[in-house]
Formats: sequence, C-alpha cells, structure tokens
Amino acid sequence: MQMVDSPAIGGINGTSPGVWRYARQRTLCMFASGIIFPGLLLAVEMSGKHDEDIARRLQRRDTIAMGELYDRFGRIAYSVILAIVRDAALAEDLVQETFLRVWNRIQAFEPGRGALGPWLLAIARNRAIDHLRSLSARMDRNACELDAREHPSLFVDMEREVLNTDHARVIRSAIAKLSDNQRKVIELAYYEGLSQTEMAERMGEPLGTVKTWVRSALRHLREELGQAVAA
Amino acid sequence: MTCEELREDYTSYALGIAGDPERAEIAAHLARQCPNCVPGLASAMATVTAMSGAVKVVQPPRHLRRRVLAAIEPRPTRWSLGAVLPWAITAAMSIALLSIGLSGRRAGDTARLEQALSILNDPATRDVTFGETDRPSKGRVFVSPDKGVVFIGASLPRLDSGKTFELWVIPAKGNPVPAGLFQSEPDATAVFVRPGPVENAAAIAVTVEPAGGSPQPTTTPFIITKL
Repeated sequence: MQMVDSPAIGGINGTSPGVWRYARQRTLCMFASGIIFPGLLLAVEMSGKHDEDIARRLQRRDTIAMGELYDRFGRIAYSVILAIVRDAALAEDLVQETFLRVWNRIQAFEPGRGALGPWLLAIARNRAIDHLRSLSARMDRNACELDAREHPSLFVDMEREVLNTDHARVIRSAIAKLSDNQRKVIELAYYEGLSQTEMAERMGEPLGTVKTWVRSALRHLREELGQAVAA
Repeated sequence: MTCEELREDYTSYALGIAGDPERAEIAAHLARQCPNCVPGLASAMATVTAMSGAVKVVQPPRHLRRRVLAAIEPRPTRWSLGAVLPWAITAAMSIALLSIGLSGRRAGDTARLEQALSILNDPATRDVTFGETDRPSKGRVFVSPDKGVVFIGASLPRLDSGKTFELWVIPAKGNPVPAGLFQSEPDATAVFVRPGPVENAAAIAVTVEPAGGSPQPTTTPFIITKL
C-alpha cells in the first residue's frame, strides 16, 4: 500500500451524539488500519451544515449542488472504487453510477441527520463490490442486499467526523499491531467483499481459522481503540 | 435469531462478508426496521465508511466531473420513451405483423409475435422501464409469471465479434437463471421474446457474453432492473 499524500475529501464536522459511542469505537478501530490503509489523510475542514445544504438542494433537483457534491466527494469515491476494481475506465463508470444513485435516492435521505459522505461512500464501495461479484456470478446477492446496506436510514446520526484525520492516526497505530493473517482477511473483506467461506478457499485455510482471524482482528481493534478513547 | 445473537455480525454484514444464517437474519431484521439492528448496522456502516476514508487517494480525470453532471441533465430523448412506449409497442407490433403478413417470409416470426402479445396481454404481467437516468441503454421489460418475458431495448452497446447479449432472470434467492440470447439490430435496438414460465423473478438483467451464452454471467450486467 502506498502512502496517501493528498487530502481525500474535506473533513466532515458535525454533532457527535453520545448514543453513537459504539459506532465511534468501531469506526476509529478500522480507520487506524495503518497497515491496510496506511494513508495520511489531510482533512480540509468543511461544515456538516454544508453537507446538509447540499442534500437539501439536491432534493430540490439543484444540479449545481450536484457539482458541489462531486467536488466534495468525487475524489474519494473514485479512489475507493479504483482501489477495488483496479481499472480506471471502469472506475469512471462506477463513479457515475454512484452519484446518479445519490441523485435518484436523495429524497429518502434526511439532510439534518444523515451523514452524506458516509452514505455516498457506502454506495461507491457497493458499486465496486457489485462489479466484482458479478464477475464471479454472485449477482443474486448484489441485486438483493447491497441496497439494504446503503439505505439512508443506516446513516442517520452517524458521526460526521468519521473521516477525521486525528481518528485516522489513532487507528493506524492500532492496526499496525494486527498479525499478517488478521490484516489479510480484513483486506479481502474490504477490497474484494469475499465472504469468510470464500476467504478460507482463497487462503487455503479452514473456515474456522478464518473466522477466528476476522473476529480476533475486530476484537483487537476495538480494544485498542477503547484504550485510546479512554486516554 | 435474536438481535443479541446477531450483534457480533453487524460489521461483517456491513462489509458484505457475513455468511448465512446470520446474513439472511440481519437482512430480515433490517427489512422490518428492527429498532436494535438498524442502529447496530449504522454503527457498522461507520466502520466501513472509515475504511473507505483511508484508501490511497487518486485524482480522478477532469472529464469525470462533466460526465457525472451530464448524466443528470434532462436528455432530449428521455421523455419520449416512457411517454410513447405503449403506442410505440403497438405500432412496432403492427408493423411487424403487417410485414410478416405481406411477405410471410418466416413462420417463426408470427409465433414470436403471438407469444409477445400473449405476454403483454396477461393481466399478471409486470413491466418496468429501465435506463431513464443511470444507464445509457433504455427500454422496457414485461414479465408474465406464466407466459414469459418481452425485452425491448434501445441504445444497446455495440457487440464485438463473437459476443452476444444474454438475458437473465434473477430470483429472490439463488443464482441468475439464463433466459436466452439475442443480438441487436444495426440501430442498437432489440426486441426479444422468451416464452415460458418465469418463476420467482426479482430482477431482470442483461450481460454481454461469448457467443453461445454462459451458464452464469461472466460480465457486469449493463442492464439490471428490479421488478
């Protein structure tokens, strides 16, 4: 993995409801994955209010707002998709699909409570994983479940600083302590969307062993994060 | 399964790596807006989001912004298909029938048209328009559970030599089911009729496959539309 030397997106500020502590912990855990994602994010602060404004204008079918949305998240969406599909032309197609999906589904989004960037990035990753799965004839799962994982209701009250630079540093440090196998299964999960059964086949390891690596990786990250937050 | 039992699998589900029965159970809980699982999944989605925020950043090509914005601009032809499609179908069928009636060149054409009209006339037939906004290809699909599928498409991609379009019926559960091969006309349109029962269709898709078709899709569907 190469170091990230430019900002992915503007930083996302917003309120941090206490009820989302669990989300914060898990988020920070994964974001610290310095081995898997050793990128240095240089956040450019932008207000959550700006995202809210963009979302409201998108709901009014304001095409200028779509340009602002692209300026805000186009680069990170392209980066996520390209990292998964590894084909620039295809990545462009999928970025277009991503933004069109936001445009077509924005009415279900709650501008005052929803986290626009996280929602868009979930759509972006799903489009890319959808592509990989279609290549391996796993289209049934695509068609029926990716939609469920990008429903706007899952992004209500999400911490908007989920992409915050400081969080990245904390988590990068935490993930550096993962074993090679733990890191590998997380990579296969994120970049290829492989099920644990598929990981076991790919790695030539028993399913039970792979499940243990996945669970221990997540548990380790949660513990590391918990200590960081407590400090 | 209870929400507590599913809790450990929220992030796996969010990442798309959860296996059954947990995967199906979480999907079911989400579908009924479970008050425990929805926020649980939301926190898991935050995890996945954070992972996305840490990938290596790559600058997209400049033209991509224009392309994204162009895709949401109303297109001059966009209104026409949906508005005039019923008329267009009738007209196309009539012309085709007239053509066949005058020339009588292919006995199979008459049979196909009868099959198509049978599907269109079935009260149980569902139809869906695709490609109005997010795909270059556009058209309409009619699906009768008992009688079959009629696919009408325009602006279809150009096929390379040795390739064919393949229609797929995607059930709610299970793998895509092959539903026939077809080619487009020189003007990039196609009307394809696949007679016969269609069981548990949740979506219809079209892919480009090697000549002779494939038992399972080998390319990304350029049309996939839920029923």
